[in-house]
Amino acid sequence: MRGSIPILRIGPVLLATVHIDLRDAVAEAFQEDVLTSMERTKTAGIVIDISGLDTVDSYVARILADIGRTAGLMGKSAVIVGLRPEVAATLVRMGYAMEGMRTALNLDEGLRLLGYRVARV
Amino acid sequence: MTYRGYVTQLKLDDAEIQRRRAFFELTEEDLARLAALRPLAERYTDAVVEDFYKLLLGHADTRKFFTDDATLRRVKRAQRDYFLGLFVGRCDAAYVEDRLRVGAVHERIGMEPKWYLGAYRRYLELLFERISADIHDPKQARLSYESLQRLVFFDMSLAIDTYIAANLETIGRHQAAIRELSTPVIKVNEGILLLPLVGAVDSLRAQQIMESVLVRVIEEQAKVIILDIAGVPVVDTKVADNLVKTTAAVKLIGAQTILTGISAQVARTIVQLGVDVSTMHTMSSLAEGIELALSLVGKVISAKAG
Repeated sequence: MRGSIPILRIGPVLLATVHIDLRDAVAEAFQEDVLTSMERTKTAGIVIDISGLDTVDSYVARILADIGRTAGLMGKSAVIVGLRPEVAATLVRMGYAMEGMRTALNLDEGLRLLGYRVARV
Repeated sequence: MTYRGYVTQLKLDDAEIQRRRAFFELTEEDLARLAALRPLAERYTDAVVEDFYKLLLGHADTRKFFTDDATLRRVKRAQRDYFLGLFVGRCDAAYVEDRLRVGAVHERIGMEPKWYLGAYRRYLELLFERISADIHDPKQARLSYESLQRLVFFDMSLAIDTYIAANLETIGRHQAAIRELSTPVIKVNEGILLLPLVGAVDSLRAQQIMESVLVRVIEEQAKVIILDIAGVPVVDTKVADNLVKTTAAVKLIGAQTILTGISAQVARTIVQLGVDVSTMHTMSSLAEGIELALSLVGKVISAKAG
């Protein structure tokens, strides 16, 4: 299961695109991968793009919030981008607002939040 | 809506037709009796239809439906078919569909149920006269008339259902239009959206507000959405809670919410209710809200030099 969600590095920022269901083992491996990559590389944080997810249940929401909190403890930050409208509405209705989680509208905005600017050369 | 639409909407499948017939006590025997009357009916058709239109043309309310001779000829022909339809001796899905078409036509031209029912009374009277004149055995005449009455009432139930179904459909369309109008999300500036809320916010509408806000924020890639509640008459715990939820959902997709149009009265209510609105930016007027939104996207409104 390890490495099923690749974590890329662009400049000072890490990027992970979640396109498969974050189920138990996959989610734990992903959490582990994110934290070790942050530990090993000198980085401002990670942008996690979840626009590929149709549903986010409370388990996945908790994993994502955990990643955010642990990243914070390490002095870095995790930004979630690409939450679909229906996913956001469901999470809020379930009473799961993922407090303390940083979110951004799209990848561009997410990268900018971490101090990385995409510019034309 | 077409008469086929009514078949689906009224769920008029074979089982429903059987249940309805059972309640109207419309048996195969009745249908057979009516089929036996067909030769007589064919003889009356023209006279009955003529008499029937005398009633309709004798009143201004119903005369207006038959504006010219061509129309009158057409409806008389349709009426003859309808009349003979009572004596075909069957009452199945095809028959019901045919009767619904009649109801749908009446509804479409705006012939109200009162004229339909009133005219039908004349119909029964005309038939009663003919049947009692032609069938000499009083018992047979009564039985025939009863069979006819059962089928006629069955027909009327279908026509009335058509009227109701058509009205419900109109109401549904209006509700959809109101829903659409109730959440107009406006683009104020690059990355700034505005949703002016007018009227009461119930839970269904609150849900729509949340959905259309989220969808539009994504579509426009907006960074800020302003919710103006100046037009909402009452802000209670429920409304406030829904606004807080919408704010949380907007934050999840990476944008911010500004709540404007908060009057002193509403502010007092929110404080008294103990609703925590600390997660959202709040401003009393829309103008201030727009200024704040602009500053959040790094812009300012400035006076022209000179």
